[in-house]
Amino acid sequence: MVRFENVGMRYGTGPEVLRDVTFILEAGSFTFLTGPSGAGKSTLLKLMFLGEAPSRGLITLFSRDLATTKRRDFPELRRRIGVVFQDFRLLDHLSAFDNVALPLRITGRNPKAYHQDVEELLSWVGLGNRLDAKPPTLSGGEQQRVAIARAVVARPDLLLADEPTGNVDPDMGQRLIRLFEELNKLGTTVLIATHDRALIASSQAREMRLVDGRLVELRMPRL
Amino acid sequence: MSERKPGGIMPREKGAAPLDVVIGVMGFLAALALGASLLADRASESWRLGLADRVTVQILAPEKSTATINTEIGAALKVLRETPGLARASIVSEQDTVNLVKPWLGNDSLIAELPLPRLIEGTITPGARVDLQSLRSRLKQAAPDSLLDDHTRWIGRLRSFARGIKWSAYGILLLIAIATAATVAFATRAGLEAQRAIVELLHQMGAQSGFIARAFEWHYFIATMAAAAAGSALAAGAFVTAGGIEFAGLGTVPFLPPLALKPTELCLFAGVPLGASLIALGTARISVLGALRRIY
Repeated sequence: MVRFENVGMRYGTGPEVLRDVTFILEAGSFTFLTGPSGAGKSTLLKLMFLGEAPSRGLITLFSRDLATTKRRDFPELRRRIGVVFQDFRLLDHLSAFDNVALPLRITGRNPKAYHQDVEELLSWVGLGNRLDAKPPTLSGGEQQRVAIARAVVARPDLLLADEPTGNVDPDMGQRLIRLFEELNKLGTTVLIATHDRALIASSQAREMRLVDGRLVELRMPRL
Repeated sequence: MSERKPGGIMPREKGAAPLDVVIGVMGFLAALALGASLLADRASESWRLGLADRVTVQILAPEKSTATINTEIGAALKVLRETPGLARASIVSEQDTVNLVKPWLGNDSLIAELPLPRLIEGTITPGARVDLQSLRSRLKQAAPDSLLDDHTRWIGRLRSFARGIKWSAYGILLLIAIATAATVAFATRAGLEAQRAIVELLHQMGAQSGFIARAFEWHYFIATMAAAAAGSALAAGAFVTAGGIEFAGLGTVPFLPPLALKPTELCLFAGVPLGASLIALGTARISVLGALRRIY
C-alpha cells in the first residue's frame, strides 16, 4: 500500500526534517505513528497524502512509484486517501453537511446519491442535529468530528489522521477509534498520528515512532 | 428526505465592489464605442444614399448681372434636362441655398451679404450611367460660369471619415477587452491568494484542476456579466435619451443621422456583457490553471 525507502525531507535549505525513513504499510493494516512534537509526524503524513515531494528517497503509493508517476495521475491517487488534518481545514462558508460531502462532490457524484450516506455518517459522529451548522458555530470537538466524517465518507483506501482525538472527550475518542477500526475491517489502511498513549494502549495495532526525523522504534501488532 | 442545494465551493468575495465598478465602467465605454461604430456605419450609408445619385451645377459669378446669371441658369437647366440618364433637374431656390449654409455659418444677417452660388440639382435615374465628362463640356459651352459637381470626392472623404470612426471604435473595443482581461487576471490572482486554503484543500482531496478552475471562472463570469450589463444598459440608456431629445426636437446634430438606435441595434449591446464575461471566464481559467501548476 505504502512504501518509503530512505526518504529524506527538508524545507528549502533548512535542516532535514525526516532522515532515511524506511517502512512499509501493508494493505489493510492499522498503525499508530507517535513521537514528540516536532519529530516530523506531520511532514511524514504530508508526504503520504502527496502534499509535498520528498527531497530524496523513494515513495511507492498504491504500487506506484511517485517519482515516475505523471502529475495528471495524482488527483486519482489523492482521491483514494482520506486525511484528518490537525487543524481540521473545514470550509467556514459551507455547512457541516456540505463539508462532509465535499470529497464526493469533487468526484462528480450526484447529491441525491450521497445525501443519505452523509446524513448517516454525521449522525454516527453525533452531529445528526448539526447538519446545517457552519464550522465557526461548532465547538472544537464538533469540528474535529466533521473533519473525520469528511475523511472517511468516500471510503478511502488509505486513511491518514493527525491527532484525530485531540479535541474530544475520552468516550468520543473511543467512539471515533471504533469508526476507524470499522473502516479498517472493511479494507481501509489506517495510520493515526497521535500523542494519546491511552488510545494506543487500548489497541493492539502496530506503532511506529518518529524521533528527531528518524523512525527509531517499531512495535509490531500483537496477534 | 429533504432536498439540499449544495453551497458554492468558493465563498462570496468581500471587497469585490471596486472590481465591479471597473468592469461596469468598461462595459459602459465598450457599449459607447459599439454605438459610435453603429452610428458611423449608418452615417456613411446615409451620406452615400443622399449624394450618390445626385449631381449639382453651381453658377457663381458675383461680378455678372442677375439677368446674365439667370440666362446661364436657364441654359444649364436645358442641358441637364436633355442629358440621357438624368431623371430630373431643378433649380434650388435662393432661400433653400441660404438654408444649406446655415448649419455652418449660423442664422446671421452676414449670409445675406455673401455671394452665394446659384444651384441646380439633378437626379440620376437609378442604374443609369451619365457621361459626366461630356456633360461638363456641354455645360461650359452653354453656361461658361457653371461648375459640375458629382460629389464623388465629398462622398469619398465622408466615407473614409466614417470608416475612421468605425475602426477607432473597434480599436477602443479591443483595448477595453485587453483591459478587462488584465483586470480579471489581477482579481483572480488576488482571489486565489485569498482562497489559497480552499484551493489547496480541494487540490489535496483530488479535485482536478478543471474542477477548481470552474469554481473560480463561474464566479468571475457571473460578476463580470452583472457589472458589464449594468454599464452597457447605462450606455444604451444614454443613446435612447439622446434619441428622445432629438425626437422631441430639443436638439439635433447637423449632418449626422439620428442618434436614436433601432431596437435591433440596441440588442447588440447585450453582446458587451456576454463578450466581457467570456473574456473574464477565459482569463480566470488561465490564471487558476497556471497557479495550480505551481502546486505539487
